[in-house]
Amino acid sequence: MNKTTRFLFIAVVLAFFYAIPQFFNEPYFLHIFVMSEIYAVLALSLALIVGFSGQVSLGHAAFYGVGAYVSALLSTRLGISFWMSFWLSALFAGLVAYIIGRLVLRLRGHILAITTAFFCVLVGVIMNNWIPVTNGPMGITGIPRPAPINLFGLQLVIESRVHYYYLGLIMASGVMFFLYRIVSSRLGDAMIAVRENEELAQSIGIDIMKIKVFAFTVGGMLAGMAGAFYAHYILFISPVTFTMNESINILVMVIFGGMNTLLGPVFGAICLTILPEFLRMAGELRLVAYGVALVVFIVWLPMGIWGTLRSYLMAKVHIKGKKDNGL
Amino acid sequence: MAVFFQQVLNGVILGCIYALIALGLSLIYGILEMANFAHGEFYMLGAFMALFSITTLRVPFFAALLIAMAGMAVFGAIIERIVFRPVVGKPLINSMLISFGLSTALANAALFFFKADPRKIESGLTRIRFRFLGLHLTGERCVILVLSVTLVLFLAWFIQYTTTGKSMRAVAQDRIAAQLAGINVSNIFSITFAIGGALAAAAGTMVGAMFFVSPEMGFTVTLKSCVIVALGGFGKIKGVIFAAILIGLVESLGGGYISYAYKDAYPFLLLILLFILRPEGLMGGKRK
Repeated sequence: MNKTTRFLFIAVVLAFFYAIPQFFNEPYFLHIFVMSEIYAVLALSLALIVGFSGQVSLGHAAFYGVGAYVSALLSTRLGISFWMSFWLSALFAGLVAYIIGRLVLRLRGHILAITTAFFCVLVGVIMNNWIPVTNGPMGITGIPRPAPINLFGLQLVIESRVHYYYLGLIMASGVMFFLYRIVSSRLGDAMIAVRENEELAQSIGIDIMKIKVFAFTVGGMLAGMAGAFYAHYILFISPVTFTMNESINILVMVIFGGMNTLLGPVFGAICLTILPEFLRMAGELRLVAYGVALVVFIVWLPMGIWGTLRSYLMAKVHIKGKKDNGL
Repeated sequence: MAVFFQQVLNGVILGCIYALIALGLSLIYGILEMANFAHGEFYMLGAFMALFSITTLRVPFFAALLIAMAGMAVFGAIIERIVFRPVVGKPLINSMLISFGLSTALANAALFFFKADPRKIESGLTRIRFRFLGLHLTGERCVILVLSVTLVLFLAWFIQYTTTGKSMRAVAQDRIAAQLAGINVSNIFSITFAIGGALAAAAGTMVGAMFFVSPEMGFTVTLKSCVIVALGGFGKIKGVIFAAILIGLVESLGGGYISYAYKDAYPFLLLILLFILRPEGLMGGKRK
């Protein structure tokens, strides 16, 4: 893709997403779309950790939860506006991710996965038991909506789902652009080098620990943003949202789309937010169907849908030796 | 002081149960090189199998235990053949997600068919009580101690001395070389899962007799046994037993003396501490 076609492609995609609420304006659909935007940010941030730097983390919901709780607490207790608490929660989640990353990223493979999983359990235990601050299992209620912003005399209020949809769209495309810049820079190349062969990466002078911690911190920070957005969208948070099952859910989105691409996780997030709504027909057997579908999927399409499609197309067009720009 | 020793004893018994589950997990890891996150569900299904053989077939407790172990051995082998065989040798994330899918499917199917209300396995051992140096010990707990020691010894003997056990060790060391030497590797995979299933079923039955059986009992146990395997070293029987008893003690003593509400967080703290202080694992030695 040359520059013009890529620009056109992005413009078409953005116009498509911009137009969606015009066609589906029922609140139920809009809710699903806003949730897919939140999951798209989560899946993208996890893709940076799992897909690009190759560190399997099962603790992503913990950062999501930390972001949500920090933003909710800042706005309910201290009355800080969403536009501030959003960044502060991202900063705090990033800080937590940095500390945890420094501690656990020495580990590899299964042990890393298990340790990060237990980090998620730890955060859940704290949310449930530190009652004076987190209000325990009852969760935090009465989170204010984002304050109206005054843009050159133009009053922008955020109260309906359409408004949240556009705000989420700005967030998701911003995150996408940010990650695209990281992934297509030398830093992204270093991450892929760490994923493919740690020893070799080290031998050519890449500080592997630094790269891994960087990916983990940025991933945690973006998950914290998604958490803050979630808290100010649903207006109620409780520990049941941020369990390990949620981590697995996000991981499945990343794998479903194809983990070492950027469009894949977004695609996976959209699909796996919409598909379970259809599975509601299965009633009580919904999660059984989900589990079986996951097993079947991993056996048949281990590279993810986008990944499989892309490698098929790549083989067809014979793009060889061309720089893989991450999309 | 009597309370302290009682907590220690409870911790050791808890550790014995964890050891049975974690040993199966560790074997699967050692031989198939994958983590089975559905192992807790094997334990849950084994407990239900024992429960139903007592309530519907009206067999005595020990017969039910054997039925559950045999049933789960067969089930484990079938699951290995259908679900895990296609991802052998694939990246770890595939086997991880496939076992999560399996775990979700099994736990929710159990919830659908068996309903959520907790039930107890009637072992007939509750009435037997021992008092020894001020310590209370019920019949079930005695049976757990004896049974886990027996099973572990049997497993160690099996792996060390039988031909199948030797083949298992060979496969764990080098799959391709074992295949070249004429070992039927896929049979070994099935046998490994069968052993894991049987051990988990034994643990589930004992827990069901001591506490209760419910469809959600598997998940936390899976996580804890994963920690145990990570602490003890993959594929090391002694290390796993040691780590299991350590985790049992930490839970029981920490829950009793520090804070019960935070007891699920202790294994994580232990894991972090261990990896800071002794990155090579509890029993030392280099890990692959």
